[in-house]
Amino acid sequence: MPEAAPSHLGSNKPFVIPAKPFAPEDEASLREALKRCSPSTFEAAVQFRKTGNPEHLPAVVIGVIERFVEPDLRTKLKDADDDLRLIEDLGIDSLTMMEIVILVEDLLQMSINNDELRNLRTVGDVKTFIDCKVRGLELPKPTKFLPIEHIAAVMPIQPPFLFLNEASVSSSGANGKYKITGQEFFLQGHFKDNPVMPASIMLEALGQLAVLFLLEGATTGPGKIISPNTIFFTGCEGVRAHRVCRPGDILTLSIKPKRMKMPLATFEGAIRVGQEKAAIAEEITMTFGFAEASSQPVMPADNAAKVNGANGSHSPTPLRAAVNA
Amino acid sequence: MPRVFITGLGFITSIGNDATRVTQSLRELRHGFELYPPFQDPAIPVKIAAPVRDFAMASTDCEDWTFPAPYVIKREILRGMAPHGVYAWCAMQQAITDAKLSDAEVSNAQTGLYAASGGSPYLMGHMLQRMHTHGVMRCSPLGIVASISGTVQFNLVAHFKIKGSSCGFASACASSSHALGFAYDDLVLGRQKRMFVVGAEDGNVDAILPFAGMRALSLQTDPNLASRPFDTARDGFVGTGGGVVLVLETEDEVTRRGVKPYCEVLGWGQSSDGHNVAISHPEGHGLRAAMENALRSTGTAPEAVDYVNAHATSTPIGDASEARALKAIFTTPAARPAISSTKSLTGHGLSLAGAMESGFCALAIRDGFMPGSAHITKLDPECEGLNIIRSTLPARPAIVLNNVSGFGGANVSLVFKQAS
Repeated sequence: MPEAAPSHLGSNKPFVIPAKPFAPEDEASLREALKRCSPSTFEAAVQFRKTGNPEHLPAVVIGVIERFVEPDLRTKLKDADDDLRLIEDLGIDSLTMMEIVILVEDLLQMSINNDELRNLRTVGDVKTFIDCKVRGLELPKPTKFLPIEHIAAVMPIQPPFLFLNEASVSSSGANGKYKITGQEFFLQGHFKDNPVMPASIMLEALGQLAVLFLLEGATTGPGKIISPNTIFFTGCEGVRAHRVCRPGDILTLSIKPKRMKMPLATFEGAIRVGQEKAAIAEEITMTFGFAEASSQPVMPADNAAKVNGANGSHSPTPLRAAVNA
Repeated sequence: MPRVFITGLGFITSIGNDATRVTQSLRELRHGFELYPPFQDPAIPVKIAAPVRDFAMASTDCEDWTFPAPYVIKREILRGMAPHGVYAWCAMQQAITDAKLSDAEVSNAQTGLYAASGGSPYLMGHMLQRMHTHGVMRCSPLGIVASISGTVQFNLVAHFKIKGSSCGFASACASSSHALGFAYDDLVLGRQKRMFVVGAEDGNVDAILPFAGMRALSLQTDPNLASRPFDTARDGFVGTGGGVVLVLETEDEVTRRGVKPYCEVLGWGQSSDGHNVAISHPEGHGLRAAMENALRSTGTAPEAVDYVNAHATSTPIGDASEARALKAIFTTPAARPAISSTKSLTGHGLSLAGAMESGFCALAIRDGFMPGSAHITKLDPECEGLNIIRSTLPARPAIVLNNVSGFGGANVSLVFKQAS
């Protein structure tokens, strides 16, 4: 029986453990290349090279990034979420990024071209990128940074009820910022002589970020585009407010999709002010529909039962601001 | 015409890593030579060098380098530097402190920086080798910036946020004197109010040993005999490295800031031999013309010159050529300046030489001494009639001439004067 053609010849094929086993001299050169990284980084790199198991990659990538970050900023990486930004948070400039790439190329024996680098803005982007490269998967859509003009152009929700100043959207979630100006109309009455951002509005802001994700970041089938007019709030779980937010505070919002199956999308969301936790929502669920279908969301029976208080979604003339809490 | 003064100095040299130590070495004629460990290979005929002390820069990996405690340089700054970039960076810190300059006085449109170095053959060699063995895309992204000629001003201008004129000068051993001369011109022309002048060299194996091929290096094995300019037995120069920074300011700035300058920069002259790519004109025609130009443009009579810091590198041809040029300038009995070559203590700093020796002249004028020309046992008869001082004179020179000559027959002569 003829041998199957080797599967790793194509450029975008999964990482295949080289026919030549990982030799002591490879380990020595790996040790030399990683001499300024933590021992665990070296261990992870050795394991990866021996087994080809992509589970070791995050430790390698974080270890390499850490080595190039100024010592006083390294603590940020210790409890890093994937949203940590390379330039703004870690002080990594494009030249340092080159150094990181050269080392990663060396360690993982891959080559990365300049075009692929341009879209890597966060630690999460880098991890996902390396993971996709190694597994031979298609690279995810790059993180998009959306200014207010863009947000207002695509969102069904408009001022004065739009609570996003800027946002970034990737295939894995969205981040946004909103500064409480003190001019919001509802602060006049919430509360009397004591303006406090309503928790319901904070949840609304997270919902709006989820809407933006559905419109700009969600992976849908070919030719399927989510229509802005089809997105409505259906429910939320595990909402907790941790901090009173007032005019001058900048809300840092983030959402991540947990489940997405037409016509329901469920997200987790969190709001921080600086490093302080302000609010979390374990689950925010919305319905959505595709543009070419009816503007009414399709609600299959098996899913409709799960929707709490589904009357809002079924309303024949839903309000645009129905995304509120 | 605006007057120009030297108001700050910084030294990382083989004879001291600050002005105090350098002054002491110059006064006491303490040299910086040693049997340089990297030369002690039997295949290398050259044994002596004058390395910078307290800096360990042997690795091609900048993160392995160590330098004295007062200096803290971040990795992101270090990665674009050659060893001599680090020397210059440290000297720059000293010069800024010495001149009492605020951050705003360093970084503004009226403050520039001219520099000279030969680049870093050491890092260039490493980078090219890595390119050939590891592949084109595996070179350090800043390998070019760290190694090519110009590296010293790329780094200093960026890291000290210089906003005025900046440029590098490449006339080999005349480079940093050209930098000083043109910095002076910019101040006189009103283009700038303040200029940093930087000279720097790696002074390591790859910077020094290529000169062995042209038989320019001393093969002596005794550190006390290797560099002896004007001695009959001189047999070549001894290599050195380091970094020196001078701060030049206009009189208005000196007055406004109320600082006490080291000395005045009276002016300069230059001229070329038009003779040979690497050998001085035997009669010293170019250097003589440079000195004549310097004296004429500053209105200085040869009789007024008290001290000449000679270029004399301790090569047989070069020193004789300079001796002839000096004899052609200082012809009358009243024109008998003290002459010495401080390369007898430091060795030859190549692109660093002009800035380093101008710094020495500034120290001599401020502190009132004229450093002797060390290690002469039998004076070359060619120097007959010249007042070559073999020990330090405890007298303040009023007017000082500093000579340099570089490849291609480039010659520069600078004139410094006691500040009044």
